[in-house]
Amino acid sequence: MSADVRILAAEPGCHLFGDNGCGFEAPTIGMFFPEPWFANIPLSAGIDLYLVLLVVAVGASLLLWSWFSKKLSLVPGRRQSVAEMLILFIRDNITRPTMGAKGDSFIPFMTGIFTLILAMNFTGLIPGMLPVNSNLAFTVMFALTIYVMTIIIGMRNQGGWGYFKNQLFPAGMPKVFYIIITPIELLSVFLIRPVTHALRLFATMFAGSLLLAVFAYGGWYMLNLTAEPMLAAVSVVFSGAALLGYITFFVFEILIMVIQAFVFTLLASLYLSQSLEAAH
Amino acid sequence: MLIELAAEYNILRIDWVKFTFGAIALAVVYFFVVRKAVPKVMKVLDERHDAIEGGIERAKRAEAEAEEIRQQYREKLEESHREYAQELEKAKEQRAAIIAEAREEAQTEATRIIEAAKAQIEADRQQAVVQLRAEIGSLSTELASRIVGETLSDSAAQNRVVDRFLEELEQDESAKQAEVR
Repeated sequence: MSADVRILAAEPGCHLFGDNGCGFEAPTIGMFFPEPWFANIPLSAGIDLYLVLLVVAVGASLLLWSWFSKKLSLVPGRRQSVAEMLILFIRDNITRPTMGAKGDSFIPFMTGIFTLILAMNFTGLIPGMLPVNSNLAFTVMFALTIYVMTIIIGMRNQGGWGYFKNQLFPAGMPKVFYIIITPIELLSVFLIRPVTHALRLFATMFAGSLLLAVFAYGGWYMLNLTAEPMLAAVSVVFSGAALLGYITFFVFEILIMVIQAFVFTLLASLYLSQSLEAAH
Repeated sequence: MLIELAAEYNILRIDWVKFTFGAIALAVVYFFVVRKAVPKVMKVLDERHDAIEGGIERAKRAEAEAEEIRQQYREKLEESHREYAQELEKAKEQRAAIIAEAREEAQTEATRIIEAAKAQIEADRQQAVVQLRAEIGSLSTELASRIVGETLSDSAAQNRVVDRFLEELEQDESAKQAEVR
């Protein structure tokens, strides 16, 4: 059961110009906390809609790529061309600009997380559903994975202490500056960076679906065909405006979902590039 | 009510169950998409790249080979031209040599024949002279004896007479020859 349908069902007959006198109730953050089916897990909301949507997103990613990667030939068909375009897009817009040709070994990984994050965002496009990434746990998981990878790869490429030295004491500046630079770098690289990496994706998905919900709820609230004919006509106009807004923001949201998946992957690539070699 | 909601619904709380499932999801995608599917597509991409590059490479190699063969052919042609010219030159020389040799041989042979002929003639003449002298001697003696009517028994005197006669004769002959010339 989806969030807004559940809330709508809980408040029946509450409409503009209604006679039962109840006002508009905006969607709350409660919509991001669907009723769990299995709640008896300590320190957790339990098994809920998010995990089902996660399975859907993973299934979609796997299906897409198993479809993309079957019956490949040197002379590509349309399906293979799209797959190759996606890979070349990742290569030319994500790994090459950040890591150069050395980063070519990261193309599959970047393609994989881009696909998965995009699928996890796109679940929000199913009417009444939520983007999986509107829950912080998933974006933190992604960001933490990248964070751990940057540290491990950095230590492997620049030596155990070398990576931290290169990050905290950037080469080529007077030693006095390190008094200021080092704490800033420590905060920004090892604390703020992973947090913003996770929060950015979460916040945009969260805000985007909340915005869409406001338009959906408002449109539904304003539609009152049982009122006086004159008022009913007005309500239809209001509701139509809300629907128009909903459609506009729906399209806009698709764009945001793609951009955020791209930005997350691009930043992951950028952070990893600093592990491959010290910044100049 | 809002505060209550905020307390109940903390959007910044990280749910470890969701975190774990998310990690499993990433692992699954890593295993099937990152490790299997994408590299498969990329391999074909690389193969195509190789095939195109390889085709160009092969064409270049074939072109170079053709150029090399053409060069060899040209060299061979030039060489055979040169050889032909040399052969021609040699043949000319040989011809000249043969002609010269033949001429020399012929000259030698001619000289030899002439020499032999001269010798033969000389010998014949000598023989003729000797024979003639002997014959003339005896004839003259006989004639003289007949004319004189006496026998010249004295052979020394006889020889003297004959010699004198012959000398005169020869002188006459030389004079005659000189006249003829």
